[in-house]
Amino acid sequence: MTHARVLYQMVRADFLERVRRTSFLLALGFSLFLAYAVYTGEVALQLDDYRGVANSAWLGSVIGLVASVWVSLIGFYIVKNAVERDRQTRVGQILASTPLSKAFYTLGKALSNFVVLGAMVLVLALAAVVIQLFGRDSRGMDLLTLLTPILLFGMSAVALSAALAVLFETVPGLRGGVGNVVYFFVWMALILLGVPPALPKAQSPYWAPIVDYTGIGTLMGQMQRQLHAIDPLYKGGSSLSVGGLNPPTKTFLWNGLDWNAATLLGRVAPVVAALLLALLAALFFDRFDPARGKLRGAKKAAKSKSVVADGLPLNGAAQLAIASAAHLTPLAKSEGRNRLPALIAAEVRLMLKGKRMWWYVIAAGLWVGCAASPLEVARAGVLPFAWIWPLLLWSAMGTRENQFTTGALVFSAPNAVPRQLIASYAAGVIVAAATGGGVAIRMLVAADLAGLGAWAAAVLFIPALALVLGAWSGGGKAFEALYTAWWYVGPLHHIRGVDFMGTTAGSSTAAGYAAAALLLVCVAYAGRKHKLALA
Amino acid sequence: MQLSIRDVTKKYGRGVVALRNFSLELKPGVLGLLGHNGAGKTTLMSILATITRPSGGAVVWNGVDIACDPDALRRVLGYLPQDFGVYPNLNAVEFLEYLAAVKGLDGATARRRIEELLELVNLTDARKRPLGGFSGGMRQRIGIAQALLNDPELLIVDEPTAGLDPEERVRFRNLLSDLSGERIVILSTHIVSDVEATATDIALIAKGELVAHASPEELVAQVEGRVWEWVVPSAELNAARERYLISSTTRRSDGVHVRVLGEEPPRGAIKALAALEDAYFYCLRQQRQPLAMEAGV
Repeated sequence: MTHARVLYQMVRADFLERVRRTSFLLALGFSLFLAYAVYTGEVALQLDDYRGVANSAWLGSVIGLVASVWVSLIGFYIVKNAVERDRQTRVGQILASTPLSKAFYTLGKALSNFVVLGAMVLVLALAAVVIQLFGRDSRGMDLLTLLTPILLFGMSAVALSAALAVLFETVPGLRGGVGNVVYFFVWMALILLGVPPALPKAQSPYWAPIVDYTGIGTLMGQMQRQLHAIDPLYKGGSSLSVGGLNPPTKTFLWNGLDWNAATLLGRVAPVVAALLLALLAALFFDRFDPARGKLRGAKKAAKSKSVVADGLPLNGAAQLAIASAAHLTPLAKSEGRNRLPALIAAEVRLMLKGKRMWWYVIAAGLWVGCAASPLEVARAGVLPFAWIWPLLLWSAMGTRENQFTTGALVFSAPNAVPRQLIASYAAGVIVAAATGGGVAIRMLVAADLAGLGAWAAAVLFIPALALVLGAWSGGGKAFEALYTAWWYVGPLHHIRGVDFMGTTAGSSTAAGYAAAALLLVCVAYAGRKHKLALA
Repeated sequence: MQLSIRDVTKKYGRGVVALRNFSLELKPGVLGLLGHNGAGKTTLMSILATITRPSGGAVVWNGVDIACDPDALRRVLGYLPQDFGVYPNLNAVEFLEYLAAVKGLDGATARRRIEELLELVNLTDARKRPLGGFSGGMRQRIGIAQALLNDPELLIVDEPTAGLDPEERVRFRNLLSDLSGERIVILSTHIVSDVEATATDIALIAKGELVAHASPEELVAQVEGRVWEWVVPSAELNAARERYLISSTTRRSDGVHVRVLGEEPPRGAIKALAALEDAYFYCLRQQRQPLAMEAGV
């Protein structure tokens, strides 16, 4: 079998496995949602007060940017499970026993990721055609002008995300939740790297298109120059905004990109980088060798205590003798009550178990920072970090039973669904209250009841959000991605309304977030019930 | 104490029927549920453990339909699934303490019980070791321990000896026998010797249907006089397989000793004492090809 055929079969099998899952439909649904958001103006590209006339060039450029910016972000989280799935299904061990090389495997996975994300871009392209045909104020259809930016910007950007997903899955420290958080900042950095200088007169350096992986700099740069030629008073601002808060009031005619050599090189660069990253991933890939994980575990075990290998005594006969001597005390019929506090304590312990000492040291440092800083500084500067630190504790909420296949053990217990859900939520609340407790003490001392209300609402809201996303998605990625992005936009930049932590006076609507928390817990319960055949 | 399985059917998507009108009445003792892989055993176990909802029929525990009130059974249920996981960062004691809390045991009772169980499953020495470093057999023993945490009246164990070495397997069989006094134990397996050693009753399942329900002695009696031991040269084994129903083969210096099931012996065969494995093969073959064999169970 030729290499190409092996690669084709790998990608095909992986793709088929994915498209037959509900999550793939959700991914395509997300693409349609993005297209709809563009259609309604919720997602809009604007240059100060201007937007383009709704021709194929403008629509293609907007959807092309949406594809490269948003699909490259969300798509990463959608496809970052290709290697993990092989690990969990144990198909990986079968593959590892074949002559398949590590580089070939990681390349195949990156390609498979690319095909999935490419399908999302294609859906956006199809949606763009529909919008152009039936949109309210759309001008005539020019298919090539419409689709070229979508396919070139979208496909090249998601190629890099596809390869990064494989790289993150193979690098041990980035495989889990840490990687999900790190990617958000990597993505942000890559976007910022490509953003053009604010004024249209300023020239981008010659290498700018090469590092502009989403194409945002190339596209906006050309638009800025064209608009400036039309309106010299245009100041050079540009944004791809969400929410449509300040809709543009003027229009200009955008004729489409100048596909010069630098622009085309900019689209090739992410693909080349993706290829290199996929090959780099092979260096870190453990080829499903369980010994690598065990080696770390074994070192830890050796540190704690030496134990009898496999727990078996040397003499089998002696072992059987112990068996007959073993005794179980019958339990009274009254045992097995609804002891929620004990279960909450167990959930807290389960949540914290396995965290290293340095994790507690940093959490304690942030707590002291909250308690010792002036109240305004503590709220605005330290609290956001105190509440991003336990992110991975919260993201495991509602997902552990799925992740570790303990559902059958846990949910065959009496009243397990509501009890375990409440206990898990309470554990999350305890962690939130404990890690952010320094600020609460300062607020109590300062008698800042409004601030305390916002703080309490956040304590209730954060774990509720984690629980609902965990219960419905079955994994921690959704919370890790959403919370990190929300944390960046809201609490870190103190944006009123989306600042759920209340980092400045009046920036949070405490009652709203508290009510949302209650609602989310109810939705999480419904999710649990939905996922279990019998509850 | 009574568990009634009444006309239980389970259908999955695309028309796959895992269980079809399955009925059984259970009283204290060990029921060995025997069947090939894919016969529907795990689906039945999952329904009895209140994890899966049946498509039709009812499971009634002491007069209560568990679809209406699953907690009536869950309070007294111990369940060891075929596939289960553990939390790798917890040690054995912590994991059992967690599940004891989930099952509603108070702290003192849980601690006492856990110590006894760890001794019972021979994991006392490994009690403080993270479960992530446990071997498959050790994990299985943790699974057995968690199933016994709440002193269950109904103990369901699905392929419990998978991953256990021969000594552990014997140990587990002894344990099941000791436990069976005042509780219902359902042991699902495709390993006949596990059932032979422990079961007071046997249910045979094939293609989601109950083929037979009887005591081991009654099952064996069905094939008494129909089991033959026959020595054939290795080269003729395949031909023998095509002509006769063979329950087992053993290679020896004088050829292959095969156990043939049938009304008439092959030429040169001698009558052999019937065993449970013979009865198992006989019943399942009869279910598959009812016209080819006489008599029934």
